[in-house]
Amino acid sequence: MKKILINGEEVQPAAADVVEVEPGVYSVLAGPNSFEARITNDEICVAGHTFSVEVEDPRQWKRSSHSTGAHGRVSIAAAMPGKVIRVLVAAGDEVAEGQGIVVVEAMKMQNELKAPRKGRVISVDVKADDSVKPGAVLVTIE
Amino acid sequence: MFSKVLIANRGEIALRVIRTLREMGIRSVAVFSDADRTALHVRKADEAAHIGAAPSAESYLNIDRILDAASRHRVEAIHPGYGFLSENARFAQACTDAGFTFIGPSAKSIAMMGSKTEARRVAQAGGAPIVPGTESGVGSAADATAFARDAGFPVMLKAVAGGGGKGMRRVDRMEDLQPAFEAASSEALRAFGDGSIYVEKLIEHARHVEIQVLGDQHGHMVHLGERECSVQRRHQKVIEESPSPLVSRMPGMREQMGEAAIRAARAAGYYNAGTVEFLAEESGRFYFLEMNTRLQVEHPVTELVTGLDLVRLQLEIAAGGQLPFTRDDVALNGAAIECRIYAEDPANNFFPSPGRITQLSEPAGPGVRLDSGIYPGWTVPLDYDPMLSKLIVWAGTREIAIERMLRALGEYHIGGIRTNIPLFQLILNDTAFRRGELHTGYLDELLKTADWSTNPPANLAAIAAQVASLNQTPERSIASAAVSRWLAAGREDLLG
Repeated sequence: MKKILINGEEVQPAAADVVEVEPGVYSVLAGPNSFEARITNDEICVAGHTFSVEVEDPRQWKRSSHSTGAHGRVSIAAAMPGKVIRVLVAAGDEVAEGQGIVVVEAMKMQNELKAPRKGRVISVDVKADDSVKPGAVLVTIE
Repeated sequence: MFSKVLIANRGEIALRVIRTLREMGIRSVAVFSDADRTALHVRKADEAAHIGAAPSAESYLNIDRILDAASRHRVEAIHPGYGFLSENARFAQACTDAGFTFIGPSAKSIAMMGSKTEARRVAQAGGAPIVPGTESGVGSAADATAFARDAGFPVMLKAVAGGGGKGMRRVDRMEDLQPAFEAASSEALRAFGDGSIYVEKLIEHARHVEIQVLGDQHGHMVHLGERECSVQRRHQKVIEESPSPLVSRMPGMREQMGEAAIRAARAAGYYNAGTVEFLAEESGRFYFLEMNTRLQVEHPVTELVTGLDLVRLQLEIAAGGQLPFTRDDVALNGAAIECRIYAEDPANNFFPSPGRITQLSEPAGPGVRLDSGIYPGWTVPLDYDPMLSKLIVWAGTREIAIERMLRALGEYHIGGIRTNIPLFQLILNDTAFRRGELHTGYLDELLKTADWSTNPPANLAAIAAQVASLNQTPERSIASAAVSRWLAAGREDLLG
């Protein structure tokens, strides 16, 4: 079972209705109260308070079913400036959720970017050795 | 009136000018460096001209490149904004010589007020009270010592060519004078190409109060009340407000300061918008500090309490128009406060925090004005001042304006970088600030005891845990989130 550390301490999640209303922005209904939560990098901001978040086993993380639609296009983008090491898919490939798509090196660390859900690769916008800027779209899945 | 104007600036002030130009049916020309191809002012202008590499000296400070862009785009006038070339007399003259109207005062007035010692002479000749100090730049620390012995400590060393807090040093003891003089002089030399330093008596616990003046080229001049800018850090303004809590409770002080400001400006043959800065004591005594010969960063607080558009008035004056009102027509209504939002981390010694803005949620609603130069997906460049935006509120009273500002700050979320929003929340909740008990050392004192550690309620931590448990890896959601917002913004633009 995953463990969630908030500001370095394990915290039991509250029973709450959580809906992603904008990318990275969550509407949270807990009891009678309404909160807005925002996720940026490894922090969550709730009602003006910012918490650092660690999850003991990130592989256990699952996206909630309502967070992203199962249909439509989704782009995989670079989160920071870096260099493309390998592209693991080609346009037209069917990919499964969690399948590795692109390996990007940033700040001397290689990161494998994975498919956020299953789908078909409709475009590959980079090749090995390309330098990419933050926000650059690498691969688009439909 | 002009049909096309170039803005020799970037960021929020370029946007600010573009907005008024559009309201007046005047085409706007933005300029941009290599670092600013995707900046908001370029997106929002009618035309845009590339003027060079990222370093300011090769772009926003390069007179030839800017005049070349003005020629290519066939503009009639140039608005300098603030900072960069706005108080450069050579630039104002070069604009005129090249056949463009400089939207500001004459090059001569800029030169007079640009020298701090010359400005003091002009202001004194015009009858404005000045802080005791040396008549001109002193050549050596020994001359500074002679002044300090007579006037008594503490004293302030200031760059003759100065501005923005550069080349300024407070000196409390004779033995500190020599090293402080050398440090201030070399700092001034680096910043302004002129290491001259003059010495002033330091007025302790003084407030910074400034008067907005506006004059046309036909000899009419009015003042538009004051702004108090006592909340400063390292001689840089952090919060500005109008009216000043001090001036509001001292009968007659506003008119006295206004008259002194107009006299100083008239002595310099001034026209267009300008600001005369004073130090003010609790007794109501005030001293001329300097004159800023441009539109100020904090001009919106004056706009909100007067209901005027200062950029529109600047354009009308530059085009040869007469001031459309007299002092009696200008009423000051309610209270306005401005916070300068910077990409810096107050909890980490105000370390700059450039980077990509991954999320943006902006305040709105009653009495809120946001002059911003940012958008989600944009990377704050390292090359320029890290000011992101100015949040300004208006309300019927200062008390309500403070509550409104806190409400607006609570709605403001800039993700991906650190900002000084927590600093404003600290100040606006501080008892002394709320009582209007301010002086230029106020913020340093407050920061000495500031506690940035927060003890958020346990229920919020549990909610954060619940959100985290449902979210996938944060990094990935950020990247895709920012891009989808970015694409959405692009689509909005295409659809107009």
